[in-house]
Amino acid sequence: MRRSLEDPIFRYVAFSAATLLLVVLSGLIVSLAIGSWPALSKFGPAFLFSSNWDPANEVFGAAGPIVGTLLSSFLALAFALPIALGIAIFLTQFCPPAIAQPIAIMSELLAGIPSIVYGMWGLFVFAPWFSEHIQTPLSGLGGIFAGVPNGANIFTASVILAIMILPYMAAVFRELFRSIPPQVREAAFGMGATPLEAVTRVLIPYVKKGMVGATMLGFGRALGETMAVTFIIGNSHGFPTSLFSSGSTLASTIANEFAEAGVMHTSALLGLGLVLFLITFGVLAIARWLLSSQRY
Amino acid sequence: MSDMTTNDIQSVIVPPPADSLVLEVKKVNFFYGANQALHGVDLPVKRHAITALIGPSGCGKSTLLRILNRIYDLYPGQRADGQILFDGMDILSSKVDVTALRARVGMVFQKPTPFPMSIYDNVAFGVRLHGAKSSSEMDEIVEESLRRAALWDEVKDKLTKSGLGLSGGQQQRLCVARGIAVNPEILLLDEPASALDPISTAKLEDTLEELKRDYTIVIVTHNLQQAARLSDYTGFMYLGKMIEFGPTADLFVTPKVAKTGEYIGGRFG
Repeated sequence: MRRSLEDPIFRYVAFSAATLLLVVLSGLIVSLAIGSWPALSKFGPAFLFSSNWDPANEVFGAAGPIVGTLLSSFLALAFALPIALGIAIFLTQFCPPAIAQPIAIMSELLAGIPSIVYGMWGLFVFAPWFSEHIQTPLSGLGGIFAGVPNGANIFTASVILAIMILPYMAAVFRELFRSIPPQVREAAFGMGATPLEAVTRVLIPYVKKGMVGATMLGFGRALGETMAVTFIIGNSHGFPTSLFSSGSTLASTIANEFAEAGVMHTSALLGLGLVLFLITFGVLAIARWLLSSQRY
Repeated sequence: MSDMTTNDIQSVIVPPPADSLVLEVKKVNFFYGANQALHGVDLPVKRHAITALIGPSGCGKSTLLRILNRIYDLYPGQRADGQILFDGMDILSSKVDVTALRARVGMVFQKPTPFPMSIYDNVAFGVRLHGAKSSSEMDEIVEESLRRAALWDEVKDKLTKSGLGLSGGQQQRLCVARGIAVNPEILLLDEPASALDPISTAKLEDTLEELKRDYTIVIVTHNLQQAARLSDYTGFMYLGKMIEFGPTADLFVTPKVAKTGEYIGGRFG
């Protein structure tokens, strides 16, 4: 008898919790869509494809921030991926266990530092250094190195982003390598493989899909990162013309402009939020799918 | 404590004729950190024969097998001393090139360990590591190895499919094929049938029977019937010592050490 009442209630409570999440999520999308509708309907496709972002004249084309977001995140990934892989391989394959633990803890500490700290460090320490020692010498070359040598640009923002996603990706990669059965590793070495051959030909293929998923999750984090990027990316609208030109991202534009935005401007910023939401959602969905389809 | 219980046992080793030996383990000790797992173990291994290692769990038989290709090197803190003679060299010497050694002394594990690649690439894996071959040569090696492992007929139409898609028994024979593709002199098998059903086990045993014409096989097994019907020589280990070694028929029918008889008779273990 005791069960007859408890079970349905328990099930109902659990069900409500799950439903609440769905309601909040869809409410978010709907309110973003409604809020951004004035801007989206006024500018149409130009909102996505024009790089003319001019709040003074109430003309809003988001291509600049969209490209800035994707470019800075891709670059961050390109920097972080090989290093994260190296950390994970070293910690799981070659490092004496006594040292592996402290290194792993330190890398997790990096992940816990608030992003605004990275942003300040980037603006006050890294950007001046970068400007003096790298950007200024290279700026004479022009092309992808052209730009105002103040250190606040797409490239330095990507480096800061890379530092921020690095510990996270290294931790996931490390878990993936730890999940490989020791016998598979022994079998690779047992065939007479060198450590390099064992890692590149057997162990990495073994966790390949999980690595793709983890990389996408890292990418998702880079896409949405706001404060650190706002500090250092230079905050200019329009297409970035070189690696060292200042730019903006969706998140940095929203953070910078919301306080003084008029009606149409606010709607356009909500539109940026919607675009960011959709890009991030797409990336995370792909990551989910890849992670769930890992066979091992 | 283990010493107290085996100190009074006099080991009996009846080695094969000296000129038929391919490998000789002499007075080998093995340590997992501070724990000594093997105590002065001897093991003569006859060429082109099957040598079985039996004994209760934890007796050191798998440990002994793992010394023969130095796979324990992967784990800091594990070390061996003594002497293992193989083709004029001491396997335990620090000068030995372990990758070359492992190409000559292959290993098949308890659980199947196919690599995440096609059936063809699994078999070709070791061959590619140890030297380039033309694609027609490689095709031949792959077919020959799969035939010898009695797997060819089952996979010849799906060589490009993943090795992970095979059944457990097929995966284990794939691992045997991968092991013999590099043409090792010795093949080590660590309870290769423990995860297999009886039919797959029978197939694997047939395969080993065939293989011993060209290869030397050392197999660790929990299954006494398997050791009795498959092997030419058997070593019985207990508490990290080689208690008795001799021709399988003799060891199973007329064991010379009382402890061997007790184990074979099922009185412990």
